Amino acid sequence: MRILLIEDEIALREQIAQQLRAQNLTVDAVADGEEGLFMGSEYPYDVAIIDLGLPRLSGIEVIQQLREQGFKYPILILTARGRWQDKVEGLEAGADDYLVKPFHFEELSARLNALARRASGWANATLRCGPIELNPSSQQVFLQQSIVELTAYEYRLLHFLMLHAGEVISKTELTDHIYEMDQDRDSNVIEVFVKRLRGKLDPDKSLNPIETLRGRGYRLTLPRD
Amino acid sequence: MVLVAFLGLSAISLNNAFKSSAETAQQQRLHNYVMTILTAAELTDTGDLLMPEKLLEQKFSIPNSGLYAQITSGDRIVWQSPSSIGLFLALPFHPGPSVEQYSIIDLHNGMKLSNLAFGVVWENDKGEQFDYTINVAEDQLMLEAQTANFQRNLWYWLGGTGIMLLIAQWLILRWSLRPLTGAAKDLHAIETGKHARLTGEYPMELQQLTQNINNLLDHEQNRRVRYKNSLADLAHSLKTPLAVLRSELENSQDFQHFKTIGQEQLQRINQLVDYQLQRAATEGKSNLLAPVSLGEIIHKIISSLNKVYQAKKIHCQFEIERDAYMHADEGDMYELLGNLLENAYKYGRQRVNIVVLSQYQQITIRIEDDGNGIPLLASEDIIKRGRRFDSQVEGHGLGLAIVSDIIDAYEGSIKLEKSYLGGACFIICLPDQ
Repeated sequence: MRILLIEDEIALREQIAQQLRAQNLTVDAVADGEEGLFMGSEYPYDVAIIDLGLPRLSGIEVIQQLREQGFKYPILILTARGRWQDKVEGLEAGADDYLVKPFHFEELSARLNALARRASGWANATLRCGPIELNPSSQQVFLQQSIVELTAYEYRLLHFLMLHAGEVISKTELTDHIYEMDQDRDSNVIEVFVKRLRGKLDPDKSLNPIETLRGRGYRLTLPRD
Repeated sequence: MVLVAFLGLSAISLNNAFKSSAETAQQQRLHNYVMTILTAAELTDTGDLLMPEKLLEQKFSIPNSGLYAQITSGDRIVWQSPSSIGLFLALPFHPGPSVEQYSIIDLHNGMKLSNLAFGVVWENDKGEQFDYTINVAEDQLMLEAQTANFQRNLWYWLGGTGIMLLIAQWLILRWSLRPLTGAAKDLHAIETGKHARLTGEYPMELQQLTQNINNLLDHEQNRRVRYKNSLADLAHSLKTPLAVLRSELENSQDFQHFKTIGQEQLQRINQLVDYQLQRAATEGKSNLLAPVSLGEIIHKIISSLNKVYQAKKIHCQFEIERDAYMHADEGDMYELLGNLLENAYKYGRQRVNIVVLSQYQQITIRIEDDGNGIPLLASEDIIKRGRRFDSQVEGHGLGLAIVSDIIDAYEGSIKLEKSYLGGACFIICLPDQ
């Protein structure tokens, strides 16, 4: 899951980005509204976190312009002023949820996961597809109730595939959603990750959770619970 | 200034009118004299002119009386009135039969005369014709004296009226502006801190204005008090968590325990800051504020809450009067309704009902949900606690404290009842005149 973070206070930005990455999320962090708008319209994000008081272009304007350009990914606003008028203004501009500073990171993480889930049609906090279970808040994956050890990128890949269970996801899409903008990427690596995931999630080759559609991409075939 | 200019202009035009009418009158008079002379004159058969010793008009007989007459025929003077002896009035000329010619003559001795020459042609029995010119002249001094007299009178009267008008105007202005001067003095007294509001008695016309100024002053005063109170409250209420933190810092051996305490106290400090900030920002009641539509605000908040609490799928029912407007600060109303509605969304299960009534200059707002409700016993406590938010109340805490403060600032009331939906029902009354 790839997240755009627009926050002008360095300390807070670094802190949030670091904690999100620790949760195995892909994060692009920028400091001002103009850059944020550029990133937000250039890269595919699953959720954006936007501070309202930004230099150069206010958070409200960034949200409005993103929505005008047709981007539908959920947006969480951060605001230092807890005034209702500001919250309503932000939500009216197109944001989906708000968080008043200061906040606990757990709260932010829970809101983010809820927004991402909602956007891809999941109702519960834990994603379940057949015998596979993924808990975004603890980043743990279970197969038949027993824990599965995944590397960071394997987890990211599975998280994205599960969020979009049933949909065909191309290799480029997968790369876009698991790598940050300045990371080296190689779409061949995706094949390796998928192969490893299959090995870990389907040791006896009876489940076949990830389907390969030649030339189109991958699909998680297990039904959502 | 306008008055003076107006008076001056009217004096000039009056003067001109008088002058021209005086001149016309003089010409008419001279014409009459000519007629008098004509009737008095008699023509002999030889064409000689016979004039009576005395003319009807006395002035013709008195030398230098200012009225002179002379009859010429050809280039000789046939007759002249006793008054004009020694004066040569006019060059002998004949203007033509029955033609009047009016002229001003400057005599060599400095006299200035208005002269009317009248041409006559007489015929004797034999049918011979004789040309005569009758000149009647009046001293210009008479006309000038008349005009001067009139001018003098005119200036006296106009000047007098002007001065009277100016005085009257000044008095009226002074009298009518006196309350304003009073208000200015009062305002100055407020500025220097002698008074808190406008105290003087003012006429009806000014009362609206002074009332509004007083409202504004009261509003500002209330806000200042609120600022001061919230600053003091903030400072005081911060002392407790700070003291706890300090003593923990000094005495605690267990880092994990210290961390928990630290978190708790930080949370509390944060809430206190939020709450007092909100309290200080409250505008409060004022008639000078533009009316805001409660319906519009509620709709906006509800659509926001529907987004945020999407997962709960709350069914929200409204009954909002169309003219539910209130003279209030928009931000305050957002805060008041936002907090109450968010509580309803948070604690409600599926349903939230909102009713807004506007009656007898009072707005009544009912917000109810189908949650577990608040035990009625605790309700008093919860609402009261809001008045002085010192310790955290479970759940309904900070939001209700803010709500309670805003309602106080608008001199309204809040009641908590049990809703027929099962949950809490908040009833808020706000006066609005």
